[in-house]
Amino acid sequence: MKYVDEFRDAELGRAVSAEIASTVDASRHYKVMEVCGGHTHSIYKYGVDDLLPPNVELVHGPGCPVCVIPMGRVDDGIAVARRPEVIFTCFGDMLRVPGANGTLLDAKAEGADVRMVYSPLDALRIARENPERVVVFFAIGFETTAPSTALTLRRAKDEGIENFLCLCNHVTIVPPLRALLESPDLQLDGFIGPGHVATVVGARPFEFIPIDYQKPIVISGFEPLDLLQSVQMIMRQLAEGRCEVENQYARVVPYEGNSAALRAMGEVFELRPHFEWRGLGFISQSALRLSDAYRDFDAEARYEVPNVRVADPKACQCGEVLKGVIKPWECKVFGSACTPEHAIGTCMVSPEGACAAYYTYGRFAREREVV
Amino acid sequence: MTGDEQAWATPACVDEHCITCGDQGLPLRIVALEGAGLARCRDEAAPSEPDTTVDVQLVGEVAPGDLVLVHAGVALVHLGGVSA
Repeated sequence: MKYVDEFRDAELGRAVSAEIASTVDASRHYKVMEVCGGHTHSIYKYGVDDLLPPNVELVHGPGCPVCVIPMGRVDDGIAVARRPEVIFTCFGDMLRVPGANGTLLDAKAEGADVRMVYSPLDALRIARENPERVVVFFAIGFETTAPSTALTLRRAKDEGIENFLCLCNHVTIVPPLRALLESPDLQLDGFIGPGHVATVVGARPFEFIPIDYQKPIVISGFEPLDLLQSVQMIMRQLAEGRCEVENQYARVVPYEGNSAALRAMGEVFELRPHFEWRGLGFISQSALRLSDAYRDFDAEARYEVPNVRVADPKACQCGEVLKGVIKPWECKVFGSACTPEHAIGTCMVSPEGACAAYYTYGRFAREREVV
Repeated sequence: MTGDEQAWATPACVDEHCITCGDQGLPLRIVALEGAGLARCRDEAAPSEPDTTVDVQLVGEVAPGDLVLVHAGVALVHLGGVSA
C-alpha cells in the first residue's frame, strides 16, 4: 500500500540502524523523547528501540491525549452525562478512563445515555436526530483533533442547531514541551516531533526548542522507517553540533501547517488561562475553551460541573511515565493491578498510552531479553 | 464470557492506533463528494469497513479518487490525486 509498505522495509531498516550506530558517540548516553503517543505505539509495535544502539534511549512523552486528562475532568463529564436530558458522546478510549467515582462506562451501566462516536460529526448527527434531547460532545485531543471539533461547531451554528454542546478539553502541545524542558527531572538530547499535530500547526511552533533550549527536533512520520530515520537525523545534528527543526515527514507535513484549520480553531476557540495536565500539574495557556462567539455551545457555560481537582491513585505513576521519568514497567502496579482490561491509570487505557503499548507489544521483547 | 460480553469488555481499538482518539491520521480515498464540504471516503487498507463521511473543507479542491489524511472525521492533508 502506497505510503505504508515502503516505510516498513526490513532491509532499509537495518541499513538506517547501521548508520545510526556509526553516527553516535559510543562513550555518550543519548535520551530522545518521542512526544506523540502514536510514535510510542509504533516504537513498541515494530520494535524500533531494538534496532537502536544500547546508548540511544527513547523516552516517552505526554502526547497521548487520553492519558493527560486529569481525573477531575472525567468527573465533570460524568456529572453532565448523568443529566436525564443529555446524550453524552465521546471517543471510545475516553469511556474507560477512571475518574474519582468510576468511568463513563460505569455511568452508562447505571443508566446514563453515553454513546461512543468516531468523530464530532457523528455527535452532531445524533443531535439532529434527537431534537428533544441535548447532545454533549466530550472533546479531547491536541491540535490534530481540535479542527474537527471547530468545524463541527461551525456547522452546528450555521444550521442553527441548539441542542448540541461541547465540553471542551482540547490541549496544545507546545506548553507541556516547554514545561518538560524546564524540568530538572529530565535531561533530554532531542525530540521526535509529533507528525500529525504538525500537519495542522506546521513546524514553526517547534522552533523554540533549538532557539531557547539548544536541542534538535525532527518532525516524524509514524512508520518504523520514519522513526529510525528521525533518530538518525537527530544523531547527525548532535554529531555535527547543530540543533534545528527538521521535517522528516515532509511528504505529509507542510512547514507552515494548515492555515484553514488554524483559522477555524482561531474562530471557535480561545486559550484557557491554565489547565491541569495529568502528571504535569497546571500549565498556563495550554488548553482551549470555546470563544465568546460559540458560548451558546459551551457545556461548561450551560451546566454546573463539580470542577474539583482529584489526586491520582497513590499506586499509579502515570505522571512519572508521562514525563518520561520512569518506563512503564518500572511502575509498581504495571501488569499486575493495572492492565488494559482493568486500568488504574490513563496510560494503560489508550492504545496510544505508553503503558498499554508496552503491555501489548514491548513486554515480550523484554521478557526475551531478561531470559 | 459470551461474544457480546467479550465485545463490551474489549476496547474497540486495542490492537491498533485509534483513528480518533490519538494523534493519528489515516490515508483514505475519496469515493464521492456529498456536498456541503463533505465526502464519502474509503480505507483501502480495511476494505471490509464501511465508508465514512469526512469533512474536506480544510484541504482545498478535491475529487473522487484523491487520497486525504483524515483525523477525527476531518481531512487535514491532501496527499495527492488518483495516482497517489
